[in-house]
Amino acid sequence: MTSSDLDLLRLVMAGDEAAFTALYRRRQAGVYRFALHMSGSQTIAEDVTQEVFIVLMREAGRYDSNRGSLAAYLYGIARNHVLRRIEQDRLLVQLADSAEEGDALTPASMITEGGPLDDLTRNETVEAVRNSILALPPHYREVIVLCDLHEMSYTEAASAVGCAVGTVRSRLHRARALLVEKLRAARDRNRASEEANPARCFA
Amino acid sequence: MNCDDLETVASDLARGQMVDAALSEKALTHTASCARCATRLADERELTEGLRQFAAATATGEAPPRVEASLIEVFRRERTKAVASAATTPPLQTRRWLYLAIGAAAVVAIVIFLSLSARRTSEPQPQAPQKAGGTVPAQPDSTQQPAVAPASQEKKIANHHATKRSVRTTEPKRPTVVAVDRVEPTAGDVEIATDFIPLMNRESLTQLDSGQVVRVELPRSALMSFGLPMNMERANERVKADVVVGNDGLARAIRFVR
Repeated sequence: MTSSDLDLLRLVMAGDEAAFTALYRRRQAGVYRFALHMSGSQTIAEDVTQEVFIVLMREAGRYDSNRGSLAAYLYGIARNHVLRRIEQDRLLVQLADSAEEGDALTPASMITEGGPLDDLTRNETVEAVRNSILALPPHYREVIVLCDLHEMSYTEAASAVGCAVGTVRSRLHRARALLVEKLRAARDRNRASEEANPARCFA
Repeated sequence: MNCDDLETVASDLARGQMVDAALSEKALTHTASCARCATRLADERELTEGLRQFAAATATGEAPPRVEASLIEVFRRERTKAVASAATTPPLQTRRWLYLAIGAAAVVAIVIFLSLSARRTSEPQPQAPQKAGGTVPAQPDSTQQPAVAPASQEKKIANHHATKRSVRTTEPKRPTVVAVDRVEPTAGDVEIATDFIPLMNRESLTQLDSGQVVRVELPRSALMSFGLPMNMERANERVKADVVVGNDGLARAIRFVR
């Protein structure tokens, strides 16, 4: 029988290493992917995952099960750290060249396997969606990531973000409208590019 | 359903989140007859599909093993630190008693300090007698000390001055403080005293919180100053009097003692 998050957390507070490992293995992927979707950077995603679980081991007593699930609580911590990192990075001068940056922002896990033409189309779509999400303002981006990519309910997303359910709904509506515009613009650019360079289609 | 209604439900419809089947049916009927809303819904569906593909593409993403190893190392370090801290820190019960003892000691210290302060303020002020209501107490002799009544008695005296006699503002001759003895008479030495005669207005007397009674000797003519009869044959003799002196050093009332 698997222990609940709360049971594991109590054991973690008592200093049980096995419980901490179990809780980490259960929740790390969601936290990591959330940070990756929010930042587009593997480095930030790794750092944030580590910081989230350090906070959990040190301040486990701050979690209140009446205010939401442990997953939502962890997403909330991750959100705060990601936003801080995004803000820091925004202020930093980008020294890395574009090629290195491209590698950092495109994790191998985002590349799917399949037939070459199928992959090409799918990867283009995925890349367009990824870029469009990263171009959204953070408060719109986070609701798209939580509700659409992580399939959280509005209530859970509201708990993670720390706002009302209605706010999540309205932000999600607006975020999706922005994404539709961005994807349409990206599609139009691709079409124009293909028309200007038809040889690419036969390459 | 109109276009505005569809706009509000388009996202939920595309995401398959519509709970109301009837509303969903109306929305689909509307898109069948409205090209603009049909495009809007198609965009939403395309976006939903794109997001689904993106989520699937990243579904296997997880933190590398080095993050777990690093966290477990931190966990062990934190636990060691906590154990060490628990070994040096007394148990909670002991600490509670320690805090209670410290708190009690602090309370006792405060009470002692306050009581000492209160006693210091109620003690006689080593200052020169001042003019008050026309009565000037004499400078105390170095060998003599002013009489001090207990605080309860002082208050009783202060409240006792229910006399309506007028207060003279004329300054009598310099009296001399002679007595240290208390007001309580002994069995063989019974004193007869007048009521206390206010030396100031009544308000200042009622405001008197504490003070002291000083036994003084005055020229017998002082009786006349307060409207009391005087035996002219004993005019050269002195008369004893108790003077109520407030903490501010001002004489508030006087009574004559025989």
